[in-house]
Amino acid sequence: MSAPSVVVVGAGVLGARVTRELLGFNSDGTPAVDRLTLVGRRPARLAELSGPNGTPVRMIEADEPPADVLGEADVVVIARAAGDQLSVATRAVSAGAHVVATSDDLEECRSLLKLSSVAISAARSVAVGVAMAPGLSCLLARHATALFDGVDEIHVARVGAGGPSCARQRRRALRGTGVEYRDGEWLERPGFSGRELVWFPDPIGGADCYRAALADPVLIVDAVFGLRRASARMAASRVDRGTFWMPMFIGPPAEGAPGAVRVEVRGQRNGERHDVVYGVFDRPAVAGAATAAVAALAAARGDLPHGAHGLAAVENPVVMLRELARRGVRAATFVGSREFGIDEPSEEQQHP
Amino acid sequence: MRAVRRAVLAVCFGLAGAVILRLAGGTATVPEQGGWRELAGTDLR
Repeated sequence: MSAPSVVVVGAGVLGARVTRELLGFNSDGTPAVDRLTLVGRRPARLAELSGPNGTPVRMIEADEPPADVLGEADVVVIARAAGDQLSVATRAVSAGAHVVATSDDLEECRSLLKLSSVAISAARSVAVGVAMAPGLSCLLARHATALFDGVDEIHVARVGAGGPSCARQRRRALRGTGVEYRDGEWLERPGFSGRELVWFPDPIGGADCYRAALADPVLIVDAVFGLRRASARMAASRVDRGTFWMPMFIGPPAEGAPGAVRVEVRGQRNGERHDVVYGVFDRPAVAGAATAAVAALAAARGDLPHGAHGLAAVENPVVMLRELARRGVRAATFVGSREFGIDEPSEEQQHP
Repeated sequence: MRAVRRAVLAVCFGLAGAVILRLAGGTATVPEQGGWRELAGTDLR
């Protein structure tokens, strides 16, 4: 199959990194994409990015991506601010392109999932919530389900934010209403409630996590059948607790601070209860961009299911996780330690 | 009257102190018993 033509909409921290990821090469040394277009709203930002990316990237300054640009794309990656992606996704699917939407806004993800019937009739894939969390978190959850005969519970936690838009969305999520899935019902809980100490991969370590308006449970329940419980929490500090209702006066570092995601999956195997924990430590913008780029290439290959789903619906997550590892985004699994009297997981608990 | 004023002031200082401690307090740490291993080999097959 020839390399795809990809359009990236949004030239912020995430969009620039997705572009950089797509300019790379496949594992066999062939170019990942045939043609790459970056659509942005700020001319100064596009000029800034045209230097390091060089000529292979076509830069288009526009408020909305032109119809002819969407029409010639195999895949459209939307890296705009969360809450501003639905209209582009709708136009892109109608134009016949696969869509990778990076939004982590709960309501927008729900709306994007409703594009499923349109996408199925067009035989296209709309990958919803494709960043670090949701996105990589959904992929890890899907990978972990292969270790079980039946999965009961999936709990996601995240720490950190990507660029300034992501940091603002994080604040909005903490102010919003969190959703949890419990025995077939969706429960609504206020943001910043349900404090839980969660341990992330080193060097992040332990962090207090709270409920927030996060999309992970919605995307996971949509794809993993037989679940009884699903939840998501976000790390926040005491300063966040005092200031989360205020607008952001000081943004995050330009490329975001280090972050992490942790996915805990519980279920049965051979009639016994088991618990598997996966995690990733990376800058959220870096891991999110790599996940979006890998998902875009998977969509072009036809590896994503038709319709609108999160990455928890991917049939073979191993291919994507291997490609992410090749690009430097490496997942880890929590193991016990003999020092503390807990044995390493037996071979039976590892992937067959 | 003076005693009432002192009592009110003491309560206000107590509340302010509790808020400051709540905001500045560290994470309730419970050591996690174990470590992390990178997914590789059979994990990604």
